[in-house]
Amino acid sequence: MVLDAPTSTYLVPHGVDADAVTSYLAERLAVEADEPVIVETTVLDTVDRRLRAAGIELLLDDHRGAAHLTLRDHSGRPPLTTDVPPADGGAARSRFVLEDIPGGLLRQRLADVLEERALLPLVRLRLEAQAVRVLDEQDKTVVRLGVTSPLVLGATDPAQAFTGGEIDAPGGGVALTTRVVVAGVLGYPKPLAQVEALLTEGAGLRTAEGGAADEALRALGGEPDGLRTKVRVALTPDMRTDRAAIAVLDDLADIATSNIPGTLADLDPEFLHDLRVAVRKSRSVLRELKKAFPPEALARQRDALKWVQAITGEVRDLDVQLLDWSGLAAKASPDRRSALDPVHELVSRHRAEAVRRLATELQGPRFTEAWSSYRAFLAGDLGKAKKRPDAKEPIALTAGRRIRKVYSRMVEMGRAIDDDSPAEDLHELRKRGKELRYLLELFGDLWPTEVVKPMVKTLKGLQDVLGTHQDRAVQVESLRSLADELARQPDGPDALLALGSLVDGLEHEQHEARAHFAESFEPFAAKAQRKLVDTTFRGLP
Amino acid sequence: MKVVATYNIKGGVGKTSAAVNMAALSAQDGLRTLLWDLDPQGAASFLFRIRPKVKGGARKLVRGRSDITELLRGTDVEGLDLLPADFSYRHMDLALDDAGKPTRVLGKVLEPLAEYYDVAILDCPPSISLVSENVFEAADGLLVPLIPSTLTLRTFEQLDSFVTERVSRPPEVIAFFSMVDRRKRLHRQVVEAFPDDRKDVARTAIPAATEVELMGVRRAPIVVDRPHSRAGRAYRDLWAEVRDRLVI
Repeated sequence: MVLDAPTSTYLVPHGVDADAVTSYLAERLAVEADEPVIVETTVLDTVDRRLRAAGIELLLDDHRGAAHLTLRDHSGRPPLTTDVPPADGGAARSRFVLEDIPGGLLRQRLADVLEERALLPLVRLRLEAQAVRVLDEQDKTVVRLGVTSPLVLGATDPAQAFTGGEIDAPGGGVALTTRVVVAGVLGYPKPLAQVEALLTEGAGLRTAEGGAADEALRALGGEPDGLRTKVRVALTPDMRTDRAAIAVLDDLADIATSNIPGTLADLDPEFLHDLRVAVRKSRSVLRELKKAFPPEALARQRDALKWVQAITGEVRDLDVQLLDWSGLAAKASPDRRSALDPVHELVSRHRAEAVRRLATELQGPRFTEAWSSYRAFLAGDLGKAKKRPDAKEPIALTAGRRIRKVYSRMVEMGRAIDDDSPAEDLHELRKRGKELRYLLELFGDLWPTEVVKPMVKTLKGLQDVLGTHQDRAVQVESLRSLADELARQPDGPDALLALGSLVDGLEHEQHEARAHFAESFEPFAAKAQRKLVDTTFRGLP
Repeated sequence: MKVVATYNIKGGVGKTSAAVNMAALSAQDGLRTLLWDLDPQGAASFLFRIRPKVKGGARKLVRGRSDITELLRGTDVEGLDLLPADFSYRHMDLALDDAGKPTRVLGKVLEPLAEYYDVAILDCPPSISLVSENVFEAADGLLVPLIPSTLTLRTFEQLDSFVTERVSRPPEVIAFFSMVDRRKRLHRQVVEAFPDDRKDVARTAIPAATEVELMGVRRAPIVVDRPHSRAGRAYRDLWAEVRDRLVI
């Protein structure tokens, strides 16, 4: 929480000197200004600009061979700093994952925001910065100002997944707009209002919309918003189903394509994850709205996407194990955890091999041909509507029908599950749940939010339980498959024993998830919910 | 929010100096920090150039009738806010005595601030009173400056047993030698004679130094104004020990 000491940023019009701003204030208020300093710094962010979205600014500076990070946000917290030691081999770091950053407040602040994403260098800036303080009659600081004149030296375009190389600024640097950050001091609102009035009404400064990093990226022709993972298509209920489906599929294909360079460069596991999610959603749309497409061409494209999903699956499964390794290892008995190190090494080695195979596939002729054929299918003529009975139907009718159908099928399947049902039944139910989730996510905006949102919530509750059940089963199977290879290693017997203890822990969690099935299914399939789904998704909204 | 109080029954032993420097170091570490100047003399408020005035005074504050967030003032140290002193704090005992559960009132006053701050440092007035009992109840750590003298150990043990026996949730007591003058034989002897296996005594001692005395003239914590001075470094070491002991 933040107490009321607001911060605002103002832009100084072009042609006006930074000094002029300080002098203007000094003529009217008691101010104290430090000597201006010149620093070179790099702004870090993830490819999808998570830090910007969370209101965090993270700067990287070289500090005697170590990377020095400074984090500022709007939490009312003073700046957080930490030194990150050089990577193995002593090379200067430019890419960071959470594990690279030493424990402490800065890492804690980043943990929830970053998740599995890597921090990458967004823009390099040379800043001429001057700290200015407005003082009261006791010489106490009552307003803080920072006047900064940035020069962009280079940038890396996040929209190209940071793989397009750094764009050098022409002429050794491009000057950006001078910015004045005005920070209030708690308990002194009047001088803050006075400074703001002087800067806006008196000096004609206007409020900055984005940060200097955004301006720098634009100045060098980059796209400051970075990669997006959410589909952004405006649909109307009466839109033809084939056109609505193509619009959504096109957007999903764009998202998938934009994640390929980052997957190939193996920048972080989220590129592959987002690529796979986009392909999975596309398959779901093609399946659920199949009657809007020509059957033969559709079958070919569905096969092609199925293959893409298959070639990307191995790396993702291994990523899942490695990403949650500490959580996974904690499931083994404490005295056996260190014996799991060879398992971790083995999984890491398998992943490295799988990444190489995946890169070969993604750069190979089969993928290139399949992907361009799929894009051509989306861009081309789908043929006469006669063979595509749902093509001209309003999207709200077809998607609504599918939502009702998938939902009622899930209710039937769930009701049939009892303590003796095989694990496959739960897995099948989960697969249907994903279909429903995607239908709601991609087409849900056509219906009232107050119906769709709670429905997604109960579905999510159910899917979480089913997901844990299935994920543990996959992990157990995957870890068991390592047994033979581990047994051949010198420290194999110890590792095998530890693996056994880990598998026991995972199986226990799988059983626990199953025990929670009934309670998560109940709200999803409640009578009132069934009625609501039936009335909401029937007919045009 | 971790609550750390500086306390000694005697005045002039370096309580306020410790409080303002610990508070400034806490903010420099990136922790959102509050310093509450509980001493009616208002030395900490003076040092931060903040008027020792609380609207409604002690009585309104302890009765929970003031919006405490309205009383806070940002200091010149980024991330450090001050709840100023007020001359009416000299009657705080009376105000506390009127309340139900009179030893828990200050803790209650601090409660709404827990969502805004990581650390609260309380600079207590000297004396044993209802105010100090409140502070003992509210604090996670009690930082006790000791000037080396023949009675030091005895005084400290008296305080230690009072806290252990009388406080329902006793704070971690961390004593440290303050205003140590190595040129004085007595100071050297007392510091050296103090059992060094005692976990409740910090390894760091704060030297008697002109720059500490000059804080009142420069009106800034020494760790901000003279961070590389001997005393500045000593306060930094002491703060590291406090963070370690209290897991801040």
